[in-house]
Amino acid sequence: MTALDEPTPLTTTGTRTPSVHEDAGDKPRRTSWVLTIVVLLLTCYFLFPLYWLVVASTKSNADLFSSFGLWFADFSLVDNVRTVLTFQDGVYIRWFLNSILYAVVSGVGAAFLATAAGYAFAKYDFPGGKALFSIVLGAIMVPTTALAIPTYLLFARAELTDTYWAIILPSLVSPFGVFLMRVYAADAVDTTLIEAARVDGVGELRIFFTVALRLLMPGAVTVLLFALVSTWNNYFLPLLMLNSAQLFPLPVGLAQWQATAAGGSGAQALFSTVITGSLLSIIPLVVAFLFLQRYWQSGLATGGVKA
Amino acid sequence: MTTTVPTRAVAPHGASSAPRARRGLSASRRRQIGAAYALVLPFLVLFVAMVVVPLVYAGYLSFYKKKLIGGTSFVGAENYLRALTDPSFLSGVGRMGLFLCVQVPLMLVLSLFTALALDSGMMKLAKVARLGIFVPYAVPSVIATLMWGYIYGPDFGPIAQMARGLGLGVPPFFSGTGIFFSIINIVNWEFVGYNMIIMYAALRSIPTELYEAARVDGASETRIALSIKIPLIRPAILLTVIFSVIGTFQLFNEPNLMRTLAPTVIGSDWTPNLYAYNIAFVNQDANYAAALAFLLGIVIMIISYAVQLGAQRKERRA
Amino acid sequence: MSPSPFTRRKFLLTGAAAASSAWFLSACGGGDDSPGQGSSGSAAPQVAQADIDKAMDTATTLTFWTWVPDIGNEVKMFMAKYPKIKVDVVNVGQGAPHYQKLRTAIQSGQGAPDVTQMEYQYIPSFTLGDQGSLLDLTPYAPADLQSQYPEWVWGQVKINNGLWGIPQDTGPMGLLYRDDLFTEAGLKAPATWDEFGAAAESYHSKNPKSWLFNVAQNQPGQLVAYLWQAGVRPFSFDGQQTVKIDLASDQAKTVVKFFGDLVNSGAATNDADFNDSWYQGLANGKWASLPIAAWGPVFLQGTAGKTSGKWRASTLPQWKAGDNVSSNWGGSTDAVLKLSKNQIAASQLALWINTNKDSMLRFANEQFLFPPLKSVLSDPQFTGQEAKFYGGQKVNEKFAQISDTVSTEFGWLPFMDFVYSNFNETLGKAFADKSDAVAGLQAWQDGCAKYAKDQGFTVS
Repeated sequence: MTALDEPTPLTTTGTRTPSVHEDAGDKPRRTSWVLTIVVLLLTCYFLFPLYWLVVASTKSNADLFSSFGLWFADFSLVDNVRTVLTFQDGVYIRWFLNSILYAVVSGVGAAFLATAAGYAFAKYDFPGGKALFSIVLGAIMVPTTALAIPTYLLFARAELTDTYWAIILPSLVSPFGVFLMRVYAADAVDTTLIEAARVDGVGELRIFFTVALRLLMPGAVTVLLFALVSTWNNYFLPLLMLNSAQLFPLPVGLAQWQATAAGGSGAQALFSTVITGSLLSIIPLVVAFLFLQRYWQSGLATGGVKA
Repeated sequence: MTTTVPTRAVAPHGASSAPRARRGLSASRRRQIGAAYALVLPFLVLFVAMVVVPLVYAGYLSFYKKKLIGGTSFVGAENYLRALTDPSFLSGVGRMGLFLCVQVPLMLVLSLFTALALDSGMMKLAKVARLGIFVPYAVPSVIATLMWGYIYGPDFGPIAQMARGLGLGVPPFFSGTGIFFSIINIVNWEFVGYNMIIMYAALRSIPTELYEAARVDGASETRIALSIKIPLIRPAILLTVIFSVIGTFQLFNEPNLMRTLAPTVIGSDWTPNLYAYNIAFVNQDANYAAALAFLLGIVIMIISYAVQLGAQRKERRA
Repeated sequence: MSPSPFTRRKFLLTGAAAASSAWFLSACGGGDDSPGQGSSGSAAPQVAQADIDKAMDTATTLTFWTWVPDIGNEVKMFMAKYPKIKVDVVNVGQGAPHYQKLRTAIQSGQGAPDVTQMEYQYIPSFTLGDQGSLLDLTPYAPADLQSQYPEWVWGQVKINNGLWGIPQDTGPMGLLYRDDLFTEAGLKAPATWDEFGAAAESYHSKNPKSWLFNVAQNQPGQLVAYLWQAGVRPFSFDGQQTVKIDLASDQAKTVVKFFGDLVNSGAATNDADFNDSWYQGLANGKWASLPIAAWGPVFLQGTAGKTSGKWRASTLPQWKAGDNVSSNWGGSTDAVLKLSKNQIAASQLALWINTNKDSMLRFANEQFLFPPLKSVLSDPQFTGQEAKFYGGQKVNEKFAQISDTVSTEFGWLPFMDFVYSNFNETLGKAFADKSDAVAGLQAWQDGCAKYAKDQGFTVS
């Protein structure tokens, strides 16, 4: 579901004045217990696999295969964590740092490029602008496999395979981000503000950097967060581009550990290691979600939707 | 390639907010055009390098055929003609069509329901629910599939353990039909929260006055949700539909990783994307894979366009 | 070999035709290479010892793609012996991903390793025609190399007059079984498959929740080993463009029908193997025996820990009473790529770690790779080990004996990825659906033959 990993912009009808009901949820209204229970049951369903993951990561390989899946057996979490962190000379920590590097650089880069391009598409009428924008959007439809092999061959020719660039460069391109930022910029940056700056003799690019960028920030943060998540979760691209374990991000590394259980000589069953590694790997994003909730909320609400 | 829903969604803003001033090519206008290009350029350069050039190259590849014996030759449209009669490709597209009809409505109804519930202000612990439902989006599909794979386990998975404990039959998660729903469940689990957040954000931006009147008139919250809120966030819903269409036809990670658990049920042609991947890497036929990918792109475009058209008609009727 | 050099050259201008350029190199580099040349052995003279010594005393960095756990140990021994040579060990994945990456790297001409891990059945696909990408190691190898291996092992690497890889480990097939469950059910390790089949029926009827063994619906390697043992020789390749595909011979049908019938009657399971559920099954007594290669005993130990002491190793049941024949499943070699700029050093790496006795003993005793080298197979340090997990049985010795009984002359096709992947959709699917296994076998045969023809091979 690669396409869904991309940031998705939101639009409502677009003609509305910005009297947003920011506080609708806070108005005391009759509590519906039926609704509360139904939604909380649903929430339990969404948390269920994560609960399983927590339980499973406290088990040794043997217990994993012989004890009840939803309750604790002998507590081996510490051993498991130690194995994860020290297996193959501690390559897991390297994967962790790689994932952070890829996600942060790609996220910031994609957000900046999308903000600049979206702003230009929204605020300037320039030859070819509309056509370019349409082409950018059309690219969303192209299946990833169509690009995988040609991209690989091109990168190989440029001697960029098996480097950090092989992951970062493709992740900087976010057509959805451009779309979102175009929608957002159209509304968030008042054209009269730009005109006023022009009258004051401020250069076009300076207007962008000093006036517009600040106004575009909430939208840009939303793009950044979505790009961050999609890069953090990316599997297919690094799988194809990278050979050296030293460059792997977490999902590829974990999948490789998991694959060592496949048959053949040298087969190792690292199930408990993979499970514990998976748990550790999702903690940063979950924590980020907790702390950045405000941004998700405001970025989406003011950004995508207000338009 | 150029007709997409987002274009439509954005058109009104583009039209209303683009600079109106056209004074020929004044110096100021030239500066503006220059600035526009300068701002677009960094993105565009990467876009061309990372998307357009590989795409053109894939297009070029799709007109050739490379055999293990006999080398490469130009074959014109042969790869495309072959794909159109390739039962593997067609059945994969058909399967994804069915997947689309089952999974997407299920996912979006759940997303919409939870979004409306959170927005209604009638819930306790709304923040907990919102985060809990959204959190799977933070889980890489590799890990999501791994977890569900264990949970589905027919012998020792927790569901099987409980079902046996209760004296019930073990659900056939990995049977021919079962796997279809097993994967639907994984995809739903991953993306209900994501779509919910999109819809929720759209709901939050609806001016309250639009339904305060109805509330004063005594309309029930359900009524308000159905006849005021949902119509107002239709563009956001439409967008989630389109992205789900695209995502469905590009389904790859989940079935690919589930193959170790159900190797004969999920064939190499289970989804068109998986098929193209296997053609490229197992059959070593990058040329045919490129043709398949292009055709798949066309299918996605047609369906997205049809969804968009249908929605427009409905809107006009409404 | 390019039918349209001008369109190709033109395309190079766009800077996008990496594949075709690599292709040019391989097509033109060898002078008057003809298609298919890659897989016939070179008649090149032996490389002089002086050249080897010089190369081994020149500062060189080699890249070595391998998935073998802890192979760094043996590589370090090599580097200690040749301090000027530095080896980068890279794990790009195990099984299919390894070969996919190797192919793409070779195709693009960039980033391919000097030395690579290579399973026996994949050798022909890398010595084929314009992809002929392995270096014939004959000129680099000592004259007595052949005498160091069992005949069947040598036959797996010396193909069409070329030596394409140095054997690192093998997988002679044996039978692991639960002594306790066998005793309980009054069974002894069956001598023939007929007895085994009967035992499967009776065992399951006494133990409704346990089976004698599993017929994996996704394991062509295991099935091919059964065929190999039965004397079926389904594949061959002449190194040029003619392949033989004979999966649906009468003999093969007999074998497949045997397993299909057991699956259909419910006396054997048809689970997918090597996934977590299968490991769980082994740990929990779902199966009383496991027909598996010599690399099997150790990983079983790793996952079925609580059944320690209850397992035993035996020879595979025989197709004909009184025979003592086995076959091979898995194992691998180290091969050198033609693209390597340091062919001498690369071939010495492949040779040294796999023929030096200390290195091989280490592989055998620490990484538990089953040794192909005769000298190790007969070394008490290896055979003398008593395995607690197997009730003190000398499992290595057992499998060393089995290794002597592997039948020779088993060939492969130059596209085993396809053959194995197609198995899942044909015969494997028949096992999974409990449908007619022989029909599934025929479908497998047809699928492979069609693919071969589509790819331009002559199918005999």
